[in-house]
Amino acid sequence: MRYMMLIYSNEAEEAKLSQEEMQAVFTAYGAFSSEVQERGVMHSGEALQPTAQAVTVRVRDGQTVPTDGPFAETKEQLGGFYILDCKDMDEAVELAAKIPGAKTGSVEIRPIMELG
Amino acid sequence: MRYMILIYWDETIDAQFTPEEREAQFEAYRAFTEEVRERGLMLNADALQPTPAATTVRVKGGKVLTTDGPFAETKEQLGGYYILDCKDLDQAIEIAALIPHARNGSIEIRPVLEY
Repeated sequence: MRYMMLIYSNEAEEAKLSQEEMQAVFTAYGAFSSEVQERGVMHSGEALQPTAQAVTVRVRDGQTVPTDGPFAETKEQLGGFYILDCKDMDEAVELAAKIPGAKTGSVEIRPIMELG
Repeated sequence: MRYMILIYWDETIDAQFTPEEREAQFEAYRAFTEEVRERGLMLNADALQPTPAATTVRVKGGKVLTTDGPFAETKEQLGGYYILDCKDLDQAIEIAALIPHARNGSIEIRPVLEY
């Protein structure tokens, strides 16, 4: 079954990381991606540009209203995701805990609604 | 350029749908998906099961902590996404406005970080 792992972190804290610390995070993600690919469970994954580059669109009374920034102010912001093919939620939790961002932020696991 | 289109809305609204309203919403999304496919913009998309089915994982001091539910309490919750190949942000905004939940939710556009 497919599960989406949404990786949330505090962008302001991340911006304070040194070059070495950032490289270490980058390397850790490379290792995680390799592991899930080797296990044959990797469906997809992407990193997103920070929320400073986000635009939120709402249509109200027929008018398109774009605003700069994410949909809501939250302590942690979405930075990327993986979609993994897991046996069950237990396996999804086991894998989510290996995502580097789980140590400093939050990984939200969402079962995918498979449509016809 | 690739953009992730994140679809947020108040799940409690859907929970009160009649079967007809639910079907109408599915049909609206089918039509939108068909349009972005025909325009050659469609890369990926999924619907997510509502947040009562979510589990949030954090690792603190080497221990795996799990909590039921999403990462935070928000008025609107993530219900699905598209990844689209758009000419630029303006086109992404134009397309985002066509998404059914743009009318009663919030559509967050995030440029994908390309390595």
